[in-house]
Amino acid sequence: MPNESTTAAELTEEYLERLNAVQPRELPEDLDLFDELAATRGIRLNKAAYSLKDGHQRELFERDEEAWMEQFGLTGDERELIRARDWIGLWRAGMTIYVMVKLSGVTGVPLPEIGRQMKESG
Amino acid sequence: MARILGGIGASHAPSMEHVYDAGEEVRRNEEWEPLFGPFQEVSSWLGDIRPDRLVVIYNDHMDEFFLNAYPTFALGVADEYPIADEGFGARPFPPLPGDAALGWHIARSLVADEFDPTICQELEVDHGVISPLPMVDFAEGDGSWRIPVVPLAVNVILHPLPTPRRCYKLGQALRRAILSYPEDLSVVVVGTGGLSHQLTGPRFGRVTPDWDQEFMRVLAEDPEKLCDYTHEDLIKLGGTESVEVVNWLAMRGALPADARPIVEAYYPHRIMGYGLQAFAVAQ
Repeated sequence: MPNESTTAAELTEEYLERLNAVQPRELPEDLDLFDELAATRGIRLNKAAYSLKDGHQRELFERDEEAWMEQFGLTGDERELIRARDWIGLWRAGMTIYVMVKLSGVTGVPLPEIGRQMKESG
Repeated sequence: MARILGGIGASHAPSMEHVYDAGEEVRRNEEWEPLFGPFQEVSSWLGDIRPDRLVVIYNDHMDEFFLNAYPTFALGVADEYPIADEGFGARPFPPLPGDAALGWHIARSLVADEFDPTICQELEVDHGVISPLPMVDFAEGDGSWRIPVVPLAVNVILHPLPTPRRCYKLGQALRRAILSYPEDLSVVVVGTGGLSHQLTGPRFGRVTPDWDQEFMRVLAEDPEKLCDYTHEDLIKLGGTESVEVVNWLAMRGALPADARPIVEAYYPHRIMGYGLQAFAVAQ
């Protein structure tokens, strides 16, 4: 165990300031961040949509969306968000925009339409 | 020894790919000329100075790297880089030619400088590289790329992200890596991404031209000043996805302080602030 006073001395103000600044903490509510919380929440949805990079996965999605979803251990709520093409809901559930565009491609919903829904989410 | 001839900062976006792929007539129409015209100027400048290599600092959009193991910095050490399928089928370009030997040298130099990138012998590049690149480097007549590249990817997706200061220092380390390469090669360093854009939430589509132009001005005149910005500052000023501008800051770090832009263009359009800035380095 390190000596307690030594440890405390190492935690300089300069260090603590850097630690505090490394990740945004005071964003307005309508600005989001893909961080520990979102990444943890969204792991299944992100894995699912990321799979659509692969043409075989896109074929499966088009042929049998339920079978496609079955592969990723999605919760019932997550499946419902995909079925409903609920882009705001998917975003709030932790899906990043970068894999959302892959889902947008395979569902034929263009980005401007997703954007229209996003704007209404405020 | 290798030398650095200049640097290019350029936005990247799928929209640029759609317009490029639609052909010369669309690129030259009233809507897109303000974006593509300046790229032509950069292309002819590259034609004049003929660099042997491009080092492209960019970010992947979950087309190569995924959240199972997301690298903070990742460096290509391959002799070619295939075009990624981003979910719609890959664009019909041949793989980008690489330079594995230069990549490995940069890896060694970065590690010696206490930057420790993920080293990639295989890497598929996405629109972070190939939305701006064809506009400055693709010989359409021959259907071939002209200049081999070394790609260097920065995490701008999964927080915590490397800080703006860290990215500037990465550029400075990259400069030492290039200057210490024993081959007689000329290099241009490219940083892609930004400028302002917001793709999620109620602020979807918000562009902030005043900040974008201020960013480009400060990048040219006093880049170290931008090291004092936090990601929180950048997100408030330009939107969640605008943090990609750290790639420009890394590019600028690889250039001498007195480098000045020879081409500068800014075009806020639809959901993007499109920026382009080319720096020549006096030889």
